[in-house]
Amino acid sequence: MPSFKLDELEIPFEPGDTVIQAAHRVGVDIPHYCWHPGLSVAANCRMCLVEVAPPPGRPAMMLDVLRQDPTTGEYVPAKKPKLQPACQLKAAEGMDVRSQSSPHVAEARGAVQEMLLLNHPVDCPICDQAGECRLQDYWLEHQGTRKRMRDEVIHKPKAQVFGPTIVYDAERCIICTRCVRFCEEVAKDPVLDVRERGNLNEIVVSPGRQLDHGYTLMTEFVCPVGALTAVDFRFKARVWFLRSVRSVCQGCATGCNAFLDYDPRNQTLYRHRPRENLQVNQYWMCDHGMLDYRRAHEDRFVSAYVGEEEVTLEAGVNAAASALREVEPERLAVVLSAQHSNEDNFALLTLARDYLGTGQLFITNKPHGEADGILRHADKNPNTLGVEQLCGTTPPRPLQDLLAAIEAGQITHVLALSSVAPCEVEALQRLKRLVLITPFDGPLAGYADVLLPAATWAESTGTFVNFKGMAQESERAIRPEADARPAWKLIGALGRALGYAIDWQRLSDVRLAMATDPGAVVAPPPSARMAPVGAAE
Amino acid sequence: MLKRTEFLSKNYGVEGGWLIEPYVKSGGYQSAKRALGMTREQVVAEAKAAHIRGRGGAGFDCGTKWSFMPPPGDKPHYLVVNADEGEPGTFKDRTIMEMNPHALIEGCIIGAYAIGAHAAYIYVRDELHLSKARLWGAIHEAREKGYLGERPFGQSWAMQVYVHTGAGAYICGEETALLNSLEGRRGEPRIKPPFPAQYGAFGMPTTVNNVETIAIMPTVFKVGGDAFSRESALHDLGDGGARLFGVSGHVKRPGVYEAAVGLTLRELIYDLGGGILDDRPLLGVIPGGSSCPIMLEEEIVNVEGDERFAPYNGKSVLDLPMGVDTYRRTGNMLGTCCAIVLNDSVDPVRAAQNLARFYRHESCGQCTPCREGCGWIERLFDKVVAGEATLEELNQVHQVASNIMGNTICAFGDGAATPMLAFVRKFRPQFEEYVRRGEAERNARRAALGSGDHGRSLASEAR
Repeated sequence: MPSFKLDELEIPFEPGDTVIQAAHRVGVDIPHYCWHPGLSVAANCRMCLVEVAPPPGRPAMMLDVLRQDPTTGEYVPAKKPKLQPACQLKAAEGMDVRSQSSPHVAEARGAVQEMLLLNHPVDCPICDQAGECRLQDYWLEHQGTRKRMRDEVIHKPKAQVFGPTIVYDAERCIICTRCVRFCEEVAKDPVLDVRERGNLNEIVVSPGRQLDHGYTLMTEFVCPVGALTAVDFRFKARVWFLRSVRSVCQGCATGCNAFLDYDPRNQTLYRHRPRENLQVNQYWMCDHGMLDYRRAHEDRFVSAYVGEEEVTLEAGVNAAASALREVEPERLAVVLSAQHSNEDNFALLTLARDYLGTGQLFITNKPHGEADGILRHADKNPNTLGVEQLCGTTPPRPLQDLLAAIEAGQITHVLALSSVAPCEVEALQRLKRLVLITPFDGPLAGYADVLLPAATWAESTGTFVNFKGMAQESERAIRPEADARPAWKLIGALGRALGYAIDWQRLSDVRLAMATDPGAVVAPPPSARMAPVGAAE
Repeated sequence: MLKRTEFLSKNYGVEGGWLIEPYVKSGGYQSAKRALGMTREQVVAEAKAAHIRGRGGAGFDCGTKWSFMPPPGDKPHYLVVNADEGEPGTFKDRTIMEMNPHALIEGCIIGAYAIGAHAAYIYVRDELHLSKARLWGAIHEAREKGYLGERPFGQSWAMQVYVHTGAGAYICGEETALLNSLEGRRGEPRIKPPFPAQYGAFGMPTTVNNVETIAIMPTVFKVGGDAFSRESALHDLGDGGARLFGVSGHVKRPGVYEAAVGLTLRELIYDLGGGILDDRPLLGVIPGGSSCPIMLEEEIVNVEGDERFAPYNGKSVLDLPMGVDTYRRTGNMLGTCCAIVLNDSVDPVRAAQNLARFYRHESCGQCTPCREGCGWIERLFDKVVAGEATLEELNQVHQVASNIMGNTICAFGDGAATPMLAFVRKFRPQFEEYVRRGEAERNARRAALGSGDHGRSLASEAR
């Protein structure tokens, strides 16, 4: 592989790479604002300027500048080399690139940093970006001096509502045009552009439009400063109190890799944002997925119910066990869920096949929706393929078949995971007993005789298989609320209450059991680089 | 060496001189006819022999630029003529378009043929309404005669010329910003590479030439490339032919004059321009549009190690022939060859402030150093002029300008920084005088009020 020299490092590159791309791939960061690995090159922030040594025997291109003699105050004509933006500069074999080792680069970056902050309001105490702001980070790294301009800064529009999700502050904006390029290149809806000239520049929405396509929150995410803020996150949390886990989006079968940001002090989720995975979502997520984290706190069941009555978890498990004990296996159906992880479904499948002895396996899922050809998949369930793989040669039948069987009186008892359904479920009222294990309220919950509160995906670690067949792990962020427990744990307790020798205490116990089943896939730990809050692209 | 010529300006001032009849009568369109009978390589070679340095300000050799165009392929090529003449003090292209538009149209045929294009776009600055009207008139006349169309002069080289109205921004004179504007996009310079010869107008191979560069081409093919180059006193320096010189400001006869390359500034000012207005002393000259550093009479040429400069060493820069390389080697910039003459009634501080305001207003705002730096310099100069600046702030000007220099996508940043650096370096005492006077006034006010603190708060209120 060809390589070039960046300061003292040898950086390998692929033909066509720019210097910043090649360095980024091996984890070396050249400071930048406007460059984004998933967007076209704009080269307008001028933060990534580097010095390139001229080829041997050729003079460097020099520019005339002026310095001042510190003692006499006299101007002294001086020369400086022409610097190149690393985001635009194509890597070449043997190239000698100086980033941190060049005093000219240090001066240029310091100047860019000072100029970016020249008319910036420096309202960090009330800015949501504070703590994950490039301006703050690079001020420390590349400037570190006080502002020299003492005059009033230029004032521009503030709190401009761009659409239902995004609010814009032109004074904080550095006109890097990442949001403009994102809308045009990724969301395919060029609804943003720059207006005015010079230091009066600002980002605007097309006249007669709103920023309302399916990926508006990504504009906030790619914004390196606090210019674009999300209505959802605005003024809600300070990012330095947040922690992140590597999650997988539950919104559809694409399985976008994400970071789930939560506050460990109050066990609350605050934000869902993309995590780089070039095989799945590249750098992006849709609005639906980014806002989907809110569901983890909404329409929840956090204690067990028998009928209408709230009971202890133990009483709930016992009630469920006695409900299941009264029926012969051929009248009992078990419903797996495309909404739950492989671990949860494996536990239920094991209980059904190996202990309860029923072959009546069904699957429930959310109804299909729209696909957009960018990221969103028509299958709105995160683990459809995982459940199918689990069941192997005898795939689970759709929920509609179960309803028909209930109508025909063949099934009287059902043990189901999750309350979602792809269709009307009135037939369930003919059941004698429905035992439901679910985190959320939903169509099935109204018919449950016994309901056990499962943990949400945010409260438990699990494997999800996306439509491409990639098994990915989503990590637990917060502790399960109140009596909620991971579904596999509830299923284990139910099994034990039924008198079976199921001993799953930890997730690793379930996964050990899964290891013997070729259909039961456990995802390897997330391999994408872990970035703390705010350090992602 | 002053040698007046009339290649472009023969019909200047003649009523109806812009029409096709007088143009054809004096041999017009014969060059285009001749060029279309040559091979493409021959046309480029002829242009190279003429050593036409780009007349828009950058001074790049036109024939060489044409030779960068790829060989004809499946993509159409375009010739784009930059008629967005907006550099302060520059007004030569306008005279061609208004009084000799057919030279430009004929030049377009030659240039387009040389680069393999069948269409030429003339991007005209919005304000030049007469230019646009005359160009369209000339295009219609040429079409009627069959010089433009499917088979000009019976040759199978279909050719069309279009006039495109600019949308009014100085930055659109930068060739890639011009291309963006031509395509209907925001007029912001593109990053290079890819250069227009690979990826130009509408993503196709394109050459962008200045109006005068193209308009002189019929002359080149009429008198022959080498013969035309030898018109110039700087033929040996690869700077050939004749060009339009503009002179404005404090001269008795401002205007556009055509002369062979190699004219000195002194000749331009005193012989063509008629001398300094009111016969006052000369403060300085901005030789070729406001982006060039100001030159003072007392500056002396001193280029070591090049015997071609030996005759000029020790002389004033005003006696140095005006050429792209002669100026570059002496730390000056030829630009568009349209000099702005300032006599000693001009306050250089106010002049610098005026220019700073222009560059702040016209910066497209794409790159950080130019967007913020131009505004910062303007503020500093505003404060200097208002007597509110400190010496420390005056000392920031060259630092800011030096950090704009070379750090932007296009040459606008350099064009804004260069004159600022020249002004503060060459007129430092005048700048300091403003600062000192301002400080003295503040101190006097403070003393009159008796209390230092109170005085300071009043001074800041005055801002």
